[in-house]
Amino acid sequence: MKQVLPIFIFIAFVAAHAQGQDIAVSGRVTSVDDGTALPGVNVTVKGTANGTVTDADGRYRIQSPSTGVLVFSFIGMKTEEVQVGSRSMIDVSLNADVTQLSEVVITALGVEKQSRELGYAVSGVKSEDLVVARESNILNALQGKITGVTITQSSGNLGGSSKIVVRGITSLSGRNNPLWVVDGVPINDAHDNTSAQNNRISGNRDFANGASVINPDDVEAINVLKGAAATALYGSRAAAGVILVTTKKGKTGKGGKPTVTFNSSLRFDNLFRVPDYQNEYAGGQNFKYDSSAIFNNWGPRIVGQYITESITGDSVPLAAYPKNFNDFYRQGKTLINNFSVSDASDRGDYRLSVSSLNQTGILPNAELNRITLGFNAGMKHSEKFKTRIGIQYINTKSQGTGVAGANDPNIWGLNSFVRSTNYKNYKPWIDANGNQINTSGNTDNNPFWLQHENRNERNDERFIGNFETTFSPISELNFTARIGYDYDMDDRLLTNRVGTRSRATGDFLIDGINRTQFNVDVIGTYFKQLGSDFTLKLLGGYNYNKRGFKSETLFSQNLSIPELFNPSNATVNTPTRAFAEQVLFGAFGEAVLGYKDWATLTLTGRNDWSSTLPKDNRSYFYPSASLAVVLTDALGMDNTTLNYAKLRASAAQVGNDTGPYQLLFQYFPVAQAGGQYGLNQNFPFDGRLGFQANNVIPPENLQPEKQTTIEFGAELQFFKSRFTLDVAYFSSNNRNQIIAAPIPPSSGFGFKRINAGEIVTSGVEISLDARVIDQGNFQWNSIINYTQTDSKVKTLMPGVDRILIASEFNNIQVVAIPGQEYQLFGNSYLRHTETGRLIINPDTGLPQAGPLKTFGSVLPDFTMGFINNFTFKNFMLSTTIDWRSGGLLSSATTLGMWTGGGGVETAYNREGSYIISSGVLLNQDGSVRDNDIPVRSTQTFWTNINPGGSPEAHVFDASFVKLREIGISYSFPRSLLGNGFINSLQVGVEGRNIALLYSKVPHIDPEATLFGAGADGFGVERNTVPSTRSIGFNLRLTF
Amino acid sequence: MKRLLFFIPAIASLLMPISCSDQLDINTNPLSASKADPNAVLPFVIVQYSNRKTTELGTRMHDVYQFFSNTFNSPKTGGNTAGGFLSGNYWGMLYNQALSNLTLVESDARAAGATNNNVTAIALILKALAFFDATSCWENIPFTQALNASAFPQPEFDSQEVVLNGLVDMLDEAITLIDNTPATGTFNVSQGDLIYGGNMANWKRYANSLKIRILMMIRNRDTSVDSKIITALSQPVVETNGQVAMLRYSGTAGNVNAWKLIVTAFGTGSNETTNYFGPSPVIRELLEGDPRLQLYCIDGTNGGYEAQPIGVFPNNTKARYSDNLIRGSLPDVWMLPAEITLYRAELAAKGVLAGDVNALYRLGVTQTLEFWGQTIPGALQTLTQAQITNFVTSLTDLNTLTPAEQVQRIGEQQYLETFWRPIEGWNHVRRTKIPDIQAAPGSDIATMLKRLQWSPTEVAANPNNPVQPSTDLPMWFEN
Repeated sequence: MKQVLPIFIFIAFVAAHAQGQDIAVSGRVTSVDDGTALPGVNVTVKGTANGTVTDADGRYRIQSPSTGVLVFSFIGMKTEEVQVGSRSMIDVSLNADVTQLSEVVITALGVEKQSRELGYAVSGVKSEDLVVARESNILNALQGKITGVTITQSSGNLGGSSKIVVRGITSLSGRNNPLWVVDGVPINDAHDNTSAQNNRISGNRDFANGASVINPDDVEAINVLKGAAATALYGSRAAAGVILVTTKKGKTGKGGKPTVTFNSSLRFDNLFRVPDYQNEYAGGQNFKYDSSAIFNNWGPRIVGQYITESITGDSVPLAAYPKNFNDFYRQGKTLINNFSVSDASDRGDYRLSVSSLNQTGILPNAELNRITLGFNAGMKHSEKFKTRIGIQYINTKSQGTGVAGANDPNIWGLNSFVRSTNYKNYKPWIDANGNQINTSGNTDNNPFWLQHENRNERNDERFIGNFETTFSPISELNFTARIGYDYDMDDRLLTNRVGTRSRATGDFLIDGINRTQFNVDVIGTYFKQLGSDFTLKLLGGYNYNKRGFKSETLFSQNLSIPELFNPSNATVNTPTRAFAEQVLFGAFGEAVLGYKDWATLTLTGRNDWSSTLPKDNRSYFYPSASLAVVLTDALGMDNTTLNYAKLRASAAQVGNDTGPYQLLFQYFPVAQAGGQYGLNQNFPFDGRLGFQANNVIPPENLQPEKQTTIEFGAELQFFKSRFTLDVAYFSSNNRNQIIAAPIPPSSGFGFKRINAGEIVTSGVEISLDARVIDQGNFQWNSIINYTQTDSKVKTLMPGVDRILIASEFNNIQVVAIPGQEYQLFGNSYLRHTETGRLIINPDTGLPQAGPLKTFGSVLPDFTMGFINNFTFKNFMLSTTIDWRSGGLLSSATTLGMWTGGGGVETAYNREGSYIISSGVLLNQDGSVRDNDIPVRSTQTFWTNINPGGSPEAHVFDASFVKLREIGISYSFPRSLLGNGFINSLQVGVEGRNIALLYSKVPHIDPEATLFGAGADGFGVERNTVPSTRSIGFNLRLTF
Repeated sequence: MKRLLFFIPAIASLLMPISCSDQLDINTNPLSASKADPNAVLPFVIVQYSNRKTTELGTRMHDVYQFFSNTFNSPKTGGNTAGGFLSGNYWGMLYNQALSNLTLVESDARAAGATNNNVTAIALILKALAFFDATSCWENIPFTQALNASAFPQPEFDSQEVVLNGLVDMLDEAITLIDNTPATGTFNVSQGDLIYGGNMANWKRYANSLKIRILMMIRNRDTSVDSKIITALSQPVVETNGQVAMLRYSGTAGNVNAWKLIVTAFGTGSNETTNYFGPSPVIRELLEGDPRLQLYCIDGTNGGYEAQPIGVFPNNTKARYSDNLIRGSLPDVWMLPAEITLYRAELAAKGVLAGDVNALYRLGVTQTLEFWGQTIPGALQTLTQAQITNFVTSLTDLNTLTPAEQVQRIGEQQYLETFWRPIEGWNHVRRTKIPDIQAAPGSDIATMLKRLQWSPTEVAANPNNPVQPSTDLPMWFEN
């Protein structure tokens, strides 16, 4: 390749162009809504290749024949056509395009296209919809608002991660997270795990996914490119979809003055869902009171008997404390402030934005503080030459992050609260000598000690920058070069103070994670009118992408001075280092053939060269084709019922590479020799190093993955576009996946990296947008988004029954099994084959562990979002309701509510005895009889409800309906603001996660997950930090 | 402005790296190596084996053969609790961490020639140990086709008879290699050999002793190996406490026996206050009047070293294992001289070997007490020679008993000799039926657990995996 490609591109696009201008027309384009200038509006002479865009002040200049018609089009605005006639000055005001008949959308590589040209579905959310109830993780603001995606907020942790899956699971190797692109530059969305146990289940700290730093206040629009045809130009990295973020640009305010905005929200966060606790029985075991019985509520019935209070030593009546969780959890606060100033002139524009996010969490001592500085500026050096720069700096500091999973002393869940414990007495938690104040037995910690003395801190410095320059030697020809750099330095500190029970000698873990990404795109476009009916747009270019990852950790144990996190203060230090880098080159091209403005055929091709594939196979090509036909125009329909109908179809292939360093057989130095329960030894051991060979057989002749997708869709608008129906069907087939296939361990290896396995994903997306009422002062707009996705594993590899996707404790796993969606898998109850009834243990009257089995899919059957916006005069009410149907959840927190006797159901018949009447006893001849063996006690029943770790009792249908967002606002009329410096003022009330309207999961938020965004561990929850309900106020000012 | 005409192509050219190929040829991990010295691989294998064995089998299975009254996540009730992670983790460690790396060490050492015979021998001995653990847990295992992924990607399972006899051959080869190691130019494996520090004479003793252990298993079913046993017993064996095969733990952080780790991670750091592990009634009874009772246990407030029944954890009213046992510096013992001495006693009692049954019996008990009460590294509590002598002297003179009674008494001491060693304890009870261990209360099976379920990982990936037998089905060696 070397230096040939850019020259080729240059030559290819330098071609003859149409001539013939008559008069010069100029003018200014503004918004009808607020009179502000609209930069970037496409202005073309209809039926010709002649076009320009407005500058930052909304001004344009173009040559046109007097008989010409100027077409003004812009993202989210209704396209206007104006006859030139004899005028040389034409000012135009554009309306927001509620019909989206001719909407301009941003597509792959930042290319703007008319929505009518697209042969595939694109879903978008505009800035105002992202800040209805502002979120610290922008992903959560998309919930329910677009089709084709499933978004799951992991927990109530401040800064916690959210996982988005676009059009279902397609990858067996966990490459199911979409690519994030901000202003044309890919950024990292990694969800890095930090744990002394090096897994996501032992003391998981959810420290956010990389894209969560995007500041909603700085976002103009988010578009989700879902199918392979939409993402094909992005290449292999976009196989799981693309989320395109466009940030706000500078523009002139009213009267040509700068635009200054101030937006402030204050919200209060409380527990979203409180478990149904019993409050009749005290802490203890076997009806005996025990003040140290953390987690156990099997003590005596509370009747006011006197006990010695464990910490104060006072004799006090035994009492229940129904709200004692509130002595631990507190009201969290979220304060979001954004200040921006922007301006524009003939030659340039800029926007400077400063945002602060200050949160205190519901967990004691939990805080998150984020500062975001955004700068975006463009310069027009001439009509032909422009440059633009964008810089974002984000600093996020958090502390007191909650810990989930198991095998970590810092875990404190909803099931930890003993009903008869007054947690107010657990403060203070430390004495003058630094010892823990605690009477919670020998093994459990004072929860306030955990939150205040053990540190779970993060300091994340993020820099995302881009520089873009555009050169248009002639109006039909355009070159753009774009450089982007994403730098992330993520420092984490996890500590256990000396005196922490189970970590008595103290330890700390320092993790410094550095991710970088350098990206270059060079793109040329050329437009050609072919006769009167056809248009041709050509695009070509190349891409260079380099990603780096470094992680340096230090695990230090046995501290001398409790709060000194210096390796020299520890007797054992275990450093580890990880490093990876990969490079991708891509060359791409696109041809868009238009016919009479109602049919568009788009063909694309891209060739990638990846550093991670074998030399002979690292070049791979993949094409796409899409067709869009505006039926109403093609047939000349003039129908008031169906006023717009567009049909679209596409077929595409996307290739995909793999991770770095997977081709060679290597030995690795080992830091730890692992054991059950995370009981590990360290190397050097007695001064000796430890090395082990790779457990994966390297691949031979590894080929790139190939994902094939077809998509059909229709966009129909009725009654002058009052009702819009968008329907899409898609089917994708991801075969030849690059996976580490499990092979028999007895072969000497655990895995072999091969091309194998196939997932077939299909689905339907329906979006209905209705202006239900549009009368005078009152408008009601309603949107329903429906997504049904079916992701079935078609094949794995010969001889392999299942592949482990994610593993929790007690044999509970998420697995891939041919013919099924991802399944929850674990020990079942032992059941009688013929009748399916439980086979009861004749000695105990209890159920018994059965064989391993699948419980069902962990993925939802469908999701729906209901969005309603009501406007009355200056009042506006927005609501979002989120419905997820299907998918399973294994809730270990619920199990803990049972085994600990804290759940209300455990108080039923507490002092009686049980006979599991649904069970049977096995006779010696193999026949069965009804069970008549009583369980010794209610405590015995509940504490043995998961024999052999079987999750059968605590696997639930995770369906839910939530009132996700609500926003009520009032915009002060201009008349009240006078002629002072305030241009607009809006006040409002906003809320997130308002109500759980339907759920089958007891005690907890059915959306909770343990694994977060970094793994495909759907359907598993264990001591996840509880989610929150947020309600607050908002003030928006424009000067 | 004209000069800007070529700005874009110029930028594009600058941004395009000089050579794509150079940029793409970066796919070698700078943090890994293409070769590894046995002195670095062997420590990993030895420590990983020891730690996984302690945490999977020890902390979870000591109530199966009833060293303990109860453990967490025990498979003792058989049925479907006898598999899952326990099987998967231990199987995975044996094949994917121990045997796989040992095979690579062996292969490199064989290629290096006779000067590396010592390394080859150590790799073979450790492989034999790992395969022996595997057949002890699952009976039939991949052996002849194992560890050869290119020729046998889905290995067939071999019968226990084939495996045990194959292990005898493997150990014979190791001994031959040691005998044929050149006097000079030998590879220095002292750094990697955490067991004997490169002392090949001790390795030869251990290999021969391990062979005798295996032959004793075979003879339980097939006495035709008696001549091999007699021959082996005439060769050097582990015969003093100075020759014990064990992995020492320093007890300092990062090098702490997992028994200490478990009571630290989930308890107070002391089993005496955490009350996790205590003796079963069976072992409590056998230790009556034995100084090892006070050496191993602390008494509860009830007095009399009361043991909890099987399935029940101790509390402070009952006996618990003391911090003298559950400590960071507790070594992981692989072979004591007492085991061989007591085999001699057993064989003499059965008329296979000539010898003074009572003298061998008493020597075996003495060696056991001397190890646990005197030689064991890092002991917090010791026994005086007088305590040992007095106890041994108080033992019944076996020469006054019938052969069957002799075998019973020897078997009881063999049980106590295997104390704290999961595979050996389980094998002993299954081999000799001494002591009589009944099915745990609430068991899904009719007898004591006789085998683990197959590894779910192996089952999922190997179509040649046999059907799961009931977990109370005796293994081939059980007679």
